[in-house]
Amino acid sequence: MEVSVVRCSQTSVGKVEFSPRKLGFCNSMQICPKSKRIGFDLTRRWKMPSVRVALKAIRSDISRSEAVVDEKAMRKNSPEKPDDCVRLFVGLPLDCYSQQNARAIAVGLKALKLLGVEGVELPMWWGIVEKEGPCKYDWSSYLSLAKMVQDVGLKLHVSLGFHATEDRTAALPQWVSRIGETQPDIFFTDHSGRRYKKCLSLAVDDLPVLEGRTPMQVYEQFFESFRSSFADFMGSTITDVSVGLGPGGELRYPSFPLKNKSQIPAVGEFQCYDKHMLAQLKQHAEAAGKGNWGLSGPHDAPRYDDSPDSNGFMREIDGSWETQYGDFFLSWYSNQLISHGDRLLSLASRAFGDSLVTVSARVPLMHSWYKTRSHPSELTAGFYNTATRDGYGPVAEMFAKNSCKMIIPGMDLSDEYQPKGSQSSPESLLSQIMNACKGHGVHVSGENSLASSTSSGFGKIKDGISSSEDGLASFTYQRMGAYFFSPEHWPLFAEFVRSLDRIELHLDDLPDNGARVPSSTAASEQINDRHMQAV
Amino acid sequence: MSAVRLKPLFHYCNREEKPRSLHRRSTNLSFSSSSSSYANNNYDKWPKLFSNFCKFKHHPRLCSIRASAAAETALVDTDASSGRLLFSETFQVKRVQKVEGKTSVRLDKKGDGGNYQLTVGCNLPGKWVLHWGVTYCGDFGREWDQPPPEMRPPGSIAIKDYAIETPLKKSSSVLEGRILYAVQIDINANSSIAAINFVLKEEEMGSWYQHRGRDFRVPLTGQLEEDGNTIRGNKGFSIWPGAFSQISSLLLKSEGSRPTGEKHVGDAKESQLQNKHVEGFYEECSFLKEELVQSFVTVSVTNNLKEDNTFVRFDTDLPGDVVVHWGVCRDGTKTWEIPPAPHPPETKVFRNKALQTLLKSNKDRDGSWGLFALDKQILGLVFVLKLNEYTWINNMGSDFYIPLTGKSSLPNPTSKSEHKQTFGTVTEPQEEQTGSGSTAEESQAVAHVAYTDGIINEIRNLVSDISSERSTKAKFKEAQQKILQEIEKLAAEAYSIFRSSSPTFLDEEPVSEPDEVLKPPVKICSGTGSGYEVLCQGFNWESHKSGRWYSVLNDKATDLSSLGFTVIWLPPPTDSVSPEGYMPRDLYNLNSRYGSLEELKALVNRFHEAGMKVLGDVVLNHRCAQYQNQNGIWNIFGGRLNWDDRAVVADDPHFQGRGNKSSGDNFHAAPNIDHSQDFVRNDLKEWLCWLREEIGYDGWRLDFARGFWGGYVKDYIDATEPYFAVGEYWDSLSYTYGEMDHNQDGHRQRIVDWINATNGTAGAFDVTTKGILHAALERCEYWRLSDQKGKPPGVVGWWPSRAVTFIENHDTGSTQGHWRFPSGKEMQGYAYILTHPGTPAVFYDHIFSHYQHEIKELIALRHRTKVHCRSTVKITKAERDVYAANIDEKVIMKIGPGHFEPPSGPHKWALAVEGRDYKVCLCQL
Repeated sequence: MEVSVVRCSQTSVGKVEFSPRKLGFCNSMQICPKSKRIGFDLTRRWKMPSVRVALKAIRSDISRSEAVVDEKAMRKNSPEKPDDCVRLFVGLPLDCYSQQNARAIAVGLKALKLLGVEGVELPMWWGIVEKEGPCKYDWSSYLSLAKMVQDVGLKLHVSLGFHATEDRTAALPQWVSRIGETQPDIFFTDHSGRRYKKCLSLAVDDLPVLEGRTPMQVYEQFFESFRSSFADFMGSTITDVSVGLGPGGELRYPSFPLKNKSQIPAVGEFQCYDKHMLAQLKQHAEAAGKGNWGLSGPHDAPRYDDSPDSNGFMREIDGSWETQYGDFFLSWYSNQLISHGDRLLSLASRAFGDSLVTVSARVPLMHSWYKTRSHPSELTAGFYNTATRDGYGPVAEMFAKNSCKMIIPGMDLSDEYQPKGSQSSPESLLSQIMNACKGHGVHVSGENSLASSTSSGFGKIKDGISSSEDGLASFTYQRMGAYFFSPEHWPLFAEFVRSLDRIELHLDDLPDNGARVPSSTAASEQINDRHMQAV
Repeated sequence: MSAVRLKPLFHYCNREEKPRSLHRRSTNLSFSSSSSSYANNNYDKWPKLFSNFCKFKHHPRLCSIRASAAAETALVDTDASSGRLLFSETFQVKRVQKVEGKTSVRLDKKGDGGNYQLTVGCNLPGKWVLHWGVTYCGDFGREWDQPPPEMRPPGSIAIKDYAIETPLKKSSSVLEGRILYAVQIDINANSSIAAINFVLKEEEMGSWYQHRGRDFRVPLTGQLEEDGNTIRGNKGFSIWPGAFSQISSLLLKSEGSRPTGEKHVGDAKESQLQNKHVEGFYEECSFLKEELVQSFVTVSVTNNLKEDNTFVRFDTDLPGDVVVHWGVCRDGTKTWEIPPAPHPPETKVFRNKALQTLLKSNKDRDGSWGLFALDKQILGLVFVLKLNEYTWINNMGSDFYIPLTGKSSLPNPTSKSEHKQTFGTVTEPQEEQTGSGSTAEESQAVAHVAYTDGIINEIRNLVSDISSERSTKAKFKEAQQKILQEIEKLAAEAYSIFRSSSPTFLDEEPVSEPDEVLKPPVKICSGTGSGYEVLCQGFNWESHKSGRWYSVLNDKATDLSSLGFTVIWLPPPTDSVSPEGYMPRDLYNLNSRYGSLEELKALVNRFHEAGMKVLGDVVLNHRCAQYQNQNGIWNIFGGRLNWDDRAVVADDPHFQGRGNKSSGDNFHAAPNIDHSQDFVRNDLKEWLCWLREEIGYDGWRLDFARGFWGGYVKDYIDATEPYFAVGEYWDSLSYTYGEMDHNQDGHRQRIVDWINATNGTAGAFDVTTKGILHAALERCEYWRLSDQKGKPPGVVGWWPSRAVTFIENHDTGSTQGHWRFPSGKEMQGYAYILTHPGTPAVFYDHIFSHYQHEIKELIALRHRTKVHCRSTVKITKAERDVYAANIDEKVIMKIGPGHFEPPSGPHKWALAVEGRDYKVCLCQL
């Protein structure tokens, strides 16, 4: 399940409908003194969320009038100013396209709505929608889910996935896999020739490998089909669309093995050995006048499970990465990735630019070996980020150029729980990426890692949200399912949701809100408004 | 059901002579009425909230009720004596009231041998059951164990594997003037029982009675820690109604658990308990039991001839203040109106919609009465009763309606038409609905119903209610409570659905790739193998006796393969204390009563040549020690894995382990291994990998998988990457007094939970299916073979790809016969499992019996039709004497003596295999 706490920028007029409610939250502090909050009895675990919901309702109700006033004021304000309020989004199981869990999801949606969550994240798979054949789109299962979400009165964040998942809940369309049987070079390939068949290589982006169409054209038509199929939902129920840029839906190379048996994460391998990648490398090298550099990838690169120091390339001291060749290769390798992201995101922002939705995409948090000088995991994944070079500035710049929001996973990870010897630092990496985004004015959404969360993980997430003063745009919590609703997990989650609200109140405590007195006539108006919002 | 929703249905009031008693009733007013009394249902102004409640059924039980009503009017008509009785009716009201009772616990010494007798008694009538278990010496924590059989009094029933239920019998003793219901338990001095734990259960009301919120605990030795919960405390009971998990217990605890009795009879002081055994003692505790109590409300109408008045008299024995919340109707629509003044004394106008009149209490007895004078023009009176703020009484979900005119009052032949007329008026005009806010709001207190589907709308209403000026604090709280309960309910519901459904994998869909030949599409998962496996259990309980079982099997390998088996399960191979191999000692010594290491290797090789996979039976839960520790306890291991007591779980009383607590159930005959420790797991992984490489096993049959957490199994599976793995998770099905329950979802859920804990890496034997087949075949109850959703009722109905179906194994059958399949009906069992999804396992004894031919036919049919572990089943018949199902639209099977013919239709069905009481047909294309 994913929960997004969205602090949206008011870039589009269509969003204004949220503002009364959000402002309502802000003002609530003046109206409802803390003493009115019910004393929480810790033994009754459900009490807290419910109290929160009810209070929320009151708060938003009473504060209608100045919300209207402020709405106007805000329109005058710079649209870049992030809205100070937090919205909550909740996502759905990866396999929600199957009708099997429809009832569970329906029930779950209601629970989330009552808990005060704003919306859900819905992963939509290329392999499901365009399953039957090229351009034969079937959105029916997702349309019914969207309807279900709309009926409950939640918002929708759609994730369009062009990859297959590791757990086999989603695959590439069979017709694509079949093409891959005969043309295996459409897949990422490692040094020893192993193909990664869960995602197309970025080198074929503009090659007509898919029955005459290039992957970019396929994606574009997919976007178009999505947009027209969900036209009724766009901008109203659907507020966010995120685009999968690579393996696992993230902007990266599939550089680390799927199953990692050792405790310490792998450094990974470069994935530049499919025919098309090699051709582009060659071309690039020749253009740079270094023809012999373009014949292959680095000969001294690590194998998947190597440690950074066991090979010549990633070695901290005197590693090839610091040589001129290293710089040449790594620049090319990372630029390939950024250009791929740019291509796809510009398609997406063109397709959805006028749809009143926010476009976003996910980057990975390659945090292992971060404390070494060479940052090998990041290098193999395609981020040229080392002790001497900032690799995330260009990425953030690319997001900024396409007005896209960046989603960063791993918000629940903390340095102290990382395996010893992995030189891992998720916290430092996170803050580096956040800073890069800040520098380029890119809004950031958070996600937790796929691992099941603990209360310490929730604490970490909370800290992350409250500490970033410029605002984390959203947070996405992985993921609805049996565990999510289990007695071990659900209370923690409910507690988390409630505590997010507290953060929000802290923010609202700031003096600049001034003393506003609600007018009683606002109440009835607000009732109508509530109805409209909830329908 | 949650507290708040129940609340309005319960009626609390205080009886004067029993100030502490708490009356509860649900709104099941037993209702007697003339046919015309179709009460105006003012709740349908809130149709969403109350529609369930409003579905009141009208029972025009005219004659009989009439008689009873008439009989009771005798005591009613006092004031309006000069009038003519137009109407009289007595409504019966059932309430729950609390009665104080006593429980006694007595421990007597019997003779000098140190034997004891425990007597538990209770002095209130009821169906009392003692739900109890014991704690053995050396056991820590609060887990119960079942007492040894000789301790169980006659009539005891085992509940799961940790408790016993023994009914209390009427005894000759008397406690406080009331007959004592009691049960005696004899405790042998030699038994190593440290304490007896129990709770009392009253089956009529379904209530449980605990001791200060926890189990009663009678210590028999001094070594138990005194934690304030032993019986020798001096506080009262808390009542614990309903099922274990109900929230309402929270409410009731706070209301009903005031410590009432403070008795401390007997003088055994704690200080005397230091040493081995305790003195006898006797103790009593007070508690409150709920009982159903009937009350009545009589309404009689008299006509005063002199004045133009009608008198309505109310009389009730309901204790405490009773308020009549009432209005009148001037026409047939049963719209509430306030009658013109003067109103009866003690009357308040309630929101311009109704009157509230407090009845006068009777001087000489319980209850109260009132007399209302009404204008003759008024056709009827509608009312509900209010006992306190939360407690309202209505008439089966609708208002009471009393007709005031003579012609409509008494039952007469025209009542039918009137019925229609009044019924039609239940749907009120639109404008009425808008005006009725206050009444509707009031009635909200009468009934809260959870409507999951409408909840979002409801919340909206609540929100607008909250924001409205009318809103009160109480209302607000109520709304909160309602929402929180709703959230809890929804989350729990979502959890249960998610949990019971297996994840969707795309590759489970049939793949029809043209280049299938190049790469076999078969995905191997250790829980399922190829999905087309048929398992053979290659031994029975006697196999060790020959001393050369491996050679015996060697000769049969080709036979077994040609019978269609793809996997064989071999007996446990290690050095073992018991000859059958299930008490392993030195894990690396594979010379056993079944043969030598070399013979085993040769055998595995032989099966591989024959195209079969081989499962090793590995016993990971427990291991027998080779040496004693300094206390003489056998917990020092030998051989290559020379562990000591650190590898043994701490909560096994007999073996003094120093590891952690067990993550599962304990096997009591040998030291249970503590899998939570890394060194143990690493050693076992290494051993399993060694077995894989050295012997060539392809997978595992995991013995006593209940004994440790499934997550560790996942660890072992991940480390050894077997082709197939199946765990033995065997616990008992649920029975209610000797009769097996139809719904065995709890049982299969436990197995599914285990599989889930292994992350689906291992399958499990489908004990549920075996149990249900037992009941279905033995008792000719074939309807049991379909669950509530029309799916197979065993694990195979929920997670077919991980279910290994079987009808017999070395424990259940063979010469042990712990749970033998109904004799003579084995082939019906095989006709079921060999045609159904899941991975079927056939027992050795059945293969080499006169069933062999039929079994072979069925396996061949399974292979021919490509029925696999994920095939779909459509149950077409599940009746008393016949069960029929269609598998993958390719096979139709039936079992049971009843008649069945395959349907005629586009498909033609040809009989393929037939035997006694079963038939399998194939689709002819």
